[in-house]
Amino acid sequence: MTQGRRPAAWIIWGLLLAVVTVVMLQSRADIDQAHVSLTMLLVVLGGSVAGGRALGFTLSAICILLINYYFQSPFELFTVSKPFDWVVLLNFLATSFVATELLTRARQQADAAEARTSEVEALSRLGAESLQYATAEEALGAIANLVRHAMGADACSIAPLAQPSQPRTPALDRHSDDALRAQAEQATARILATGRPVLLSASNALVEHPTADISTSATAVIRTRFIALPLRAEERIIGVLTVRGEQPLVLDSPRRRLLAAMAYYAAPGTERMRLMAEAAQAEMLRETQRAKDQIFASVSHDLRTPLTTIKVLAQSGAARGGPSSIAIAEQADRLARMVADLLELSRLRTGGLAIAPELNTADDLIGAALRQAEGMLDGRRVDVHLDFDAPTLVGRFDFVHTLRIVGNLLDNALRYTPPQGIVELRAERHGGWLVISVADRGEGVAPHEQDRIFESFYRPASASPDAGHAGLGLSIARTLAEVQGGTVTYRSRPGGGSIFELRLPAADVDDMAASDLGTSDHA
Amino acid sequence: MSITLTATPDLRAGAILVIDDEMQIRRALSEALAPLCDEVVEAATGAAGIAQAAAASPDLIILDLGLPDMAGVSVCLEIRRWSTVPIVVLSARHAEQEKVELFSAGADDYVTKPFGLAELVARVQAQLRRARVAMHSSTTPFLYDGLSIDIAHREVRRDGTLIRLTRTEWQLLQTFVTHAGRTLTHQQIFDLVWAKSFGNPQQYLRVHLTNLRRKIEREPAAPRLIITEPGVGYRFVVPQE
Repeated sequence: MTQGRRPAAWIIWGLLLAVVTVVMLQSRADIDQAHVSLTMLLVVLGGSVAGGRALGFTLSAICILLINYYFQSPFELFTVSKPFDWVVLLNFLATSFVATELLTRARQQADAAEARTSEVEALSRLGAESLQYATAEEALGAIANLVRHAMGADACSIAPLAQPSQPRTPALDRHSDDALRAQAEQATARILATGRPVLLSASNALVEHPTADISTSATAVIRTRFIALPLRAEERIIGVLTVRGEQPLVLDSPRRRLLAAMAYYAAPGTERMRLMAEAAQAEMLRETQRAKDQIFASVSHDLRTPLTTIKVLAQSGAARGGPSSIAIAEQADRLARMVADLLELSRLRTGGLAIAPELNTADDLIGAALRQAEGMLDGRRVDVHLDFDAPTLVGRFDFVHTLRIVGNLLDNALRYTPPQGIVELRAERHGGWLVISVADRGEGVAPHEQDRIFESFYRPASASPDAGHAGLGLSIARTLAEVQGGTVTYRSRPGGGSIFELRLPAADVDDMAASDLGTSDHA
Repeated sequence: MSITLTATPDLRAGAILVIDDEMQIRRALSEALAPLCDEVVEAATGAAGIAQAAAASPDLIILDLGLPDMAGVSVCLEIRRWSTVPIVVLSARHAEQEKVELFSAGADDYVTKPFGLAELVARVQAQLRRARVAMHSSTTPFLYDGLSIDIAHREVRRDGTLIRLTRTEWQLLQTFVTHAGRTLTHQQIFDLVWAKSFGNPQQYLRVHLTNLRRKIEREPAAPRLIITEPGVGYRFVVPQE
């Protein structure tokens, strides 16, 4: 019902009443009061449908006067001579008033229903908007626009927070005005602190809403030119919705509910935008990782290929008895080891290493490590202490990386062990750890050097200058252990020498797997 | 350190094909492999290598992965379409994933650059021996260092004493013996041993394998029969008596 239709309705229904009255006056002798009052009641009902409660009441008041004046004897006089006439007038008055009131209420309810419908429509469009746009940024822009329309505001912005609960300059806030931006930032900070909506009071100060939910408020109607609400996903504040108007926004209970609901629906769109930004970042990291891998692969290839040629040629020269060829082959080996160490270290440093922890056994690891160490023994011996009668020791680790760790520890121990000396390799279970230790009877490490030996390129003062390695083995070992949740530590060995201890997460072989191990003997 | 390259006379092969783009490497390999065979055939590209593999019908192929014209895996797959000739791959990369791909593509062994000539010659000999054994075995029991594995009678004995194996251990051993000398990737072993029994947790492969080793190896800490190929799988070797 619009204001513009009302004056027209008053004129039209006023004229209609006049016409009806004139027509009935012509045949006053033939009709009785019932006909008159029923006909006039129709006019009153029509008037109240078209013009509302006021017109309905006005028309019924006029009708009473008309009935009394023209259609009740004595005619053309405002007097009631018979008690029956009172009954007619009062009946008419009551009927027309009740009918007008009922019609008006029905109309108000219809209007309210229409308002709810448009709210629901706004919310459902909000849901659709947040999905149909290609980029989350566009979707958020569309949602902000929708909220602005629905609230009859002049500006609306949705500002995602880069990190949850970390304030950031709102990306979508297109306010050119610095004062407004400062206001939005201040509101964001307040919201993050309290978790409650913030609005501008009549005295132009930012105040918090008494409760976190704007729709539950003691105040019937809130009037404000600026309001900011937190957007939540899984209880975290992930963004801020701000609405502002040049004229104060009138927020009665239904409109506050609508605003709260819109904030609720804007949250997933905001979260989506944050997740998409994160995904883009992750994709960029993967891309960088791929590039790194390629560089490592090609550097590795480019360095190894000429080394192979040198080594193979030197070896075939040595096979023919050239003494310098043997030296060349040995130096090529040394160079190859250093290149491998450097590549491995830079790969570790840049995080370019893939870790694949799996269920592995200590037996398997030690067997492979011994096989690798065979070439370095030169008369030395590695004694293995592992109880082969007890159940297999099992851990969860990356086999290749761990083999590298044990290989480096053995290499280190053998380097400080004289010919005919013994290195001890031990595997045990200590609580949740699988412990692999390498013990030698070398000179040990001075207390002030015990931490430094794990640093890259560090070589103890006692090491010979031509030890044939770059001092990377222990550093690589420790880093490789740490990336899979383990440790490598040093301790002095009682009676002289060193013990390096590798700790890795142990695992248990559960009953399901063991079912095949103990039962159903073959043969 | 002294290097001697010797060849067992009875393993002398007909032709060995070397596919490598580096002329110096080809020359050095030809020299080192000469005692093992009647003829060393050289190819500088993948395409030439495939052509030679068909034309010269070699007893073994050495394939370098860094070829200018083709990916090594493609060359391997192409040759495997019509030939079971042993293929030993040379690679400058240290990537386990690449090894797994190559073994899946049908390569028999893998040597990482920079390799030693002695090591390569040993690998070549092992492959030639395997190819020879594969031709006339499978019914005769496998005998080594007091251990006898009789596939036909499903019996394993150490110094005459019967060794009791669980069903899974037996299936593992059988798989290894029938593929002796070849590196089997973890996936290939899963497929061969567990293919028919769904639900058996495959992650326990290494546990079963360790238990098998403890039963058949003389020194379980220094296995001689079932060798670990780190990051790739396992290889049952045919030891030289």
